Amino acid sequence: MALRMARSMLAAARSLHATPVLAVPNPPWPWPRPRLVRAGVIRALRMGRTLLSERTFTHKHEWITTKTDTGTVGISNFAQESLGDVVYCSLPEVGTKLKKQDEFGALESVKAASKLYSPLSGEVTEINEALAEIPGLVNKSCYEDSWLTKMTLSDPSELDDLMSEEAYEKYVKSTEE
Amino acid sequence: MLIPFSVKNCFQLLCNHKVPAAGFKNTTKGGLMLQSISNDVYQNLAVEDWIHDHVNLEGKPILFFWKNSPCVVIGRHQNPWQECNLNLLREEGIKLARRRSGGGTVYHDMGNINLTFFTTKKKYDRMENLKLIVRALNAVQPQLDVQVTKRFDLLLDGQFKISGTASKIGRTTAYHHCTLLCSTDGTSLSSSLKSPYQGIKSNATTSIPSLVKNLLEKDPTLTCEVLMNAIATEYAAYHQIENHINLINPTDETLFPGINSKAKELQTWEWIYGKTPKFSINTTLNVLHEQSHLEIKVFIDIKNGRIEICNIEAPDHWLPLEICDKLNSSFIGSKFCPTETIMLTNILLRTCPENQELHSKWNILCEKIKGIM
Repeated sequence: MALRMARSMLAAARSLHATPVLAVPNPPWPWPRPRLVRAGVIRALRMGRTLLSERTFTHKHEWITTKTDTGTVGISNFAQESLGDVVYCSLPEVGTKLKKQDEFGALESVKAASKLYSPLSGEVTEINEALAEIPGLVNKSCYEDSWLTKMTLSDPSELDDLMSEEAYEKYVKSTEE
Repeated sequence: MLIPFSVKNCFQLLCNHKVPAAGFKNTTKGGLMLQSISNDVYQNLAVEDWIHDHVNLEGKPILFFWKNSPCVVIGRHQNPWQECNLNLLREEGIKLARRRSGGGTVYHDMGNINLTFFTTKKKYDRMENLKLIVRALNAVQPQLDVQVTKRFDLLLDGQFKISGTASKIGRTTAYHHCTLLCSTDGTSLSSSLKSPYQGIKSNATTSIPSLVKNLLEKDPTLTCEVLMNAIATEYAAYHQIENHINLINPTDETLFPGINSKAKELQTWEWIYGKTPKFSINTTLNVLHEQSHLEIKVFIDIKNGRIEICNIEAPDHWLPLEICDKLNSSFIGSKFCPTETIMLTNILLRTCPENQELHSKWNILCEKIKGIM
């Protein structure tokens, strides 16, 4: 996996018509030395992270994990705790096209009816049918069993605007102060 | 788009209310109180939507008072067939509305006060709002035993519900609204909120029925006017604002640009009925025809208020199978609605053989089907 990434980074660097980042086709290290890294390679690195499905977060407490151009969307633990017991999940129809930050549904809890905002632009390909029967699943397993929707991504570069898990935890702490 | 609540807006509001011009300088500081001059539930719900969407409530919360002519209001994700007697509502001219907040079904009339507390998301606090109402009630009548429950209801004498609560949380703003039973028609309330429809299977949020009582029954001095003024006084003291309520006209487009289209949307069939979560009906209709008792099996799947699957089965010695089949296939895609059903079945009847007995059976069947819509 690391070697494949190194090769793709090399290809990206070459396509910029600049001095290749790495002089040899099969470098002994997986990443280029930092001082030689150029913007396009950083982009390729980020795309590489996407392939590994790292969870990223929005300021509205939704998360998304991605595999190539498909994303799985849910809400964070902070969100489900703030909501209280979820009694109803209103999710979009499969095929719904969304732009980043579009409202795509709502969660009704004992606290209130709260809107859901799409972390990225794309099209809904699947909704979690289990939540129709057991809306409380959102509270029990917000990162695993109660993903809300799956979607194709029309603009994967939008991932750059989302927060890593670490950054999100810091953000949540700062809002609580 | 967030619009700061400007002095200009406030002055416009004040044009409707008799206060000395000098008073307006302090009014917007720390908050505002509004009262609708309309008794139309859709217009009043539209005011809530408008304020929620357009007003920057940072440091300036709003309390909105409103009353409606007789209507039933269901929560955002509820099923009106499960929650109320739609046939009765139609007969009595009682409106049905679906609000945008969650929660259960309520009956409104001019003896019920609606209160909406608008705040920023950070300041959203239902308990604080309800405690304010309790303080206001006790200021008028210190002996009154009113408690806030864990479900954010207000309970009189430990057993009678006098207020129910629901809320909506948006990007940056939130609102908490609640009812207050003052002098509502109890008979109409009970009969409207009793659903006669059988065999409904649904994931919609359901209401929790409660024993209710009017505050006026407990104490004849507790009229709507007295209670609204008491709550306003308490709110003004709490937020350190001037104690006056600004009257607003919810149809005024200069004050609320775009509000009339919000009100219009709330009245559409697509919103009221079409937003009902998917449900199914599995029931048996009993028919007495010429001294024989028949059972008609009904299985209907409804999504977005429209019939997706329809299986109405009458005994074929009574009504030919192909006629039932025709009925079933023609219902697919149509609204689950008596008006549309009448239209559809009348059209279909014209395609049936000219046979008085057949037509009369058809009419009996259609009346029964209409009765479950």
